Amino acid sequence: MEWLAFQEKFESFVGVNLWTMLFAWVNLLILYLVLKKILFKPLKNMIDSRQKEVDDMYENAKAAEDSANELKKAYEEKIEKAEEESESILKSAMRKAQLREEEILKEADEKASRTLKRAEEEIELEKRRAINEVKDEVSEIAISIASAVIERDVSAKEHSAMIDDFIKNMGDGK
Amino acid sequence: MDLSVNGPKVYLRFTALFEKFGNILGNPITQTTISILAVTLLLIIIAKLTTRRLTKRPGRFQVIAEKLVNMLYGLVEDTMGKHNLRFAPYIGTLFLTSIFSTLIGMTQLFRSATADLSVTLAWAIVTIIMVWYHNIKNFGFGTWLKGFTEPIVVMTPMNIVSEIATPVSMAFRHFGNVAGGSVLTALIYSALSALSYAVFSWLPDTIIAFLPPVFQAGIPAVLSIYFDLFSGFVQALVFSLLTMVYVGGACPPVEEIEAARAEKAAKKQAKKNKTKA
Repeated sequence: MEWLAFQEKFESFVGVNLWTMLFAWVNLLILYLVLKKILFKPLKNMIDSRQKEVDDMYENAKAAEDSANELKKAYEEKIEKAEEESESILKSAMRKAQLREEEILKEADEKASRTLKRAEEEIELEKRRAINEVKDEVSEIAISIASAVIERDVSAKEHSAMIDDFIKNMGDGK
Repeated sequence: MDLSVNGPKVYLRFTALFEKFGNILGNPITQTTISILAVTLLLIIIAKLTTRRLTKRPGRFQVIAEKLVNMLYGLVEDTMGKHNLRFAPYIGTLFLTSIFSTLIGMTQLFRSATADLSVTLAWAIVTIIMVWYHNIKNFGFGTWLKGFTEPIVVMTPMNIVSEIATPVSMAFRHFGNVAGGSVLTALIYSALSALSYAVFSWLPDTIIAFLPPVFQAGIPAVLSIYFDLFSGFVQALVFSLLTMVYVGGACPPVEEIEAARAEKAAKKQAKKNKTKA
């Protein structure tokens, strides 16, 4: 065994050295084990876990979006329903109001016509009474005139038919 | 001016073994041994630095490292299939070791480890052993041996030769490219040196004695980009790709393996029935 570090001894350019092969194998094995443990595995794990995280994030975002969409849909439905309801309430209120209005108008109408009728009746009554009064007075006057004319007492009882006839001819002439 | 093309320098020699077996067993420590050690240490240090602080929100350096690892896994998936992703760390190791072993020669402190046939041959043997191991494991020893007689029995010698030629060609391709590149670089250096002395020969001898070979500046650098950087990268890629293709061929998807096994079992059953009848 000799050290040849400073002597110019070379191997052949194309040749096989089993020691070198052994070294190559051992070093390749060591490098494989070490690089796998400290380089490839950690980096790959990091990449994969990040990928997973990103996927999860996207999934979560998708789920959140879906639920938000669902909520939105539900709210829209609710709002639509509320609008419908309010419309129907408004409609029924309007109808009620209209009915009430009509009722009130009718009532007022009725009242007015009733009042008018009563007034007319009163007027009629009054008129009749006035006419009757006038009739009585006229008949009295007629009797007094007639008694003055014939100079004798005219019995109202006896001559009522004649008087009435007279008044009729006079009063109904208007 | 003399140019000698040498193998790796020998540092330690077992004289007794050297006398008996020559270079094959006589030189335990050579320049290549030192280079391999240097590459191993360098790669471990780089790996350690790369993964020192891994975070979910990566820095610039981590992004690059992750990109490279992703490319590696993508390449392995494309070539070998998704079921063979467990080979990715080995392929990555092989690629990194190969390219660093080649490029470490550019430091001029070390000799490229891949410019030594022993190293590339060792790696190629690992590849072919992986192929054989997985073939036997997946399809059985008999099927593997029978594979040599296909498609017809006459092809058997040719198949055996091609099986042996696979690692040998891989080893020689890698070794030849790197070693050839270094030889070419040495040739160019000496040629440029000769050129510069020829061009300045009209100067007085006293000046020439101090004159550096000026043409050596610049030109070899450009060539080195091809012969060392590009070629080193391509050879590392080719070696890794071939390993992927061969090993991937021995490790088909699980369904195919099961189908092959079922076919084998059916054949056996048929044979049994025949002998019974």
